[in-house]
Amino acid sequence: MSGALEWRFAARRAFVDSLPVLMGYTTMGFVAGVLLAAKGNVVLAPLWAFLSSSLWITGTMSFAAVPEVAIRAPVATIVLMTIAVNFRYAFYGFSMLERWKNIPVLQKAYLILMLTDENYALETASQTMKRGLHLKYCTVISALNHSYWVLGVTVGALVVCLLGMAIDPDVIRARTNGMEFAMVALFLVIFTDQIRSFVSHEK
Amino acid sequence: MKSEILYMLCVVAAVFAANYALRALPFVAFGGRGRELPRWVSSLGAYVSPVIIAALIVYSYVGLKWRTPWPYIAGALTVGLQLWRRNPLMSIVAGTFLYMSLLSCGCVSVPSDNLKSTVAHPLVRVTRFGIKFQDKLVTPEESVKLLVKHGVPKDHTLHVLVDDDFDNQRILWVFKHNYLDRAGYTKSVWIHERRGESGKSDIKPPDGGVTIPYRGRMLR
Repeated sequence: MSGALEWRFAARRAFVDSLPVLMGYTTMGFVAGVLLAAKGNVVLAPLWAFLSSSLWITGTMSFAAVPEVAIRAPVATIVLMTIAVNFRYAFYGFSMLERWKNIPVLQKAYLILMLTDENYALETASQTMKRGLHLKYCTVISALNHSYWVLGVTVGALVVCLLGMAIDPDVIRARTNGMEFAMVALFLVIFTDQIRSFVSHEK
Repeated sequence: MKSEILYMLCVVAAVFAANYALRALPFVAFGGRGRELPRWVSSLGAYVSPVIIAALIVYSYVGLKWRTPWPYIAGALTVGLQLWRRNPLMSIVAGTFLYMSLLSCGCVSVPSDNLKSTVAHPLVRVTRFGIKFQDKLVTPEESVKLLVKHGVPKDHTLHVLVDDDFDNQRILWVFKHNYLDRAGYTKSVWIHERRGESGKSDIKPPDGGVTIPYRGRMLR
């Protein structure tokens, strides 16, 4: 296949595969954005929502950082928390070492940044593709999922901010009461899947 | 405001750096050489990650209404759905929705008048929405600044009202040690609002603190 044709093939496959992630990232991102704006106790919440979602690409931290930021916890505490929460990410790269050898530095840097649970799952599941095609597939799917996540978080924070101008912020806080369970649920889901894969490996 | 923006920039940058470092670790450590991945590395991942996540689950439950059965019911639904359908989004949304419904249907007594503070109350109040200074939501450092601005003497006992549905010990601890103590308000005392017979609060004060029940008018 020629380069352009490969790109088109990769893009089409990546888009179809990214549709479930579209549902997940926009929904979870929206909740994370709402929480940051409603309970983060910060000014310019949509700006932070946009910056953090574009740079962190870690849903767990987007949730976990909110109560910490709200009480202005020391930055070191939040960093330690990041390492604890995202420790699993340190192992995702191993599966990609061979595949991503000798590729352009910027592309590699971006692909590493985008090594989330969902991208990792999709990228390892599609390893039957030949190397060049797989690389294009990884790039497109990373960019797509990145945009879904940023969109969800930013819109969530914007909605709360705009509503906050019309409604008493306390009412919004009361209405979103209990939404912080989303983070715990996310942990529970990750834990369940880890235990499941652990058990199936042991067999 | 300026310090707040600086703080947020630091948080965004620091979490980005830590997160990226984790993801880049394998490429930096094993990228150059074509050597095999040591066995202990993969087994480390298999064992350590679930343990950390389990610890995080316990930790984050403390931020919820963990003295009631509701977060456990919602948690059981989440895990059950995930085991059954393997659809993370569905499990998370269903669990969160159930938890929010349980809270809002009155299964947990959260009086709505809680949002509107009474006229007579101590200057600083810790609610589940954050710290309030005379009804206005403020950051911890703002609350300290406002205390100084209002001329609250540092050698006097400072009464901090804690809502009885607030049960996050850690936030109280951080607020006392990192903000009140450092600003010189070392004699801060937690007082708890009591709501009738059932309004029993069993929050323990952060070490060094004293808890007294709230009986209405204090600090005008």
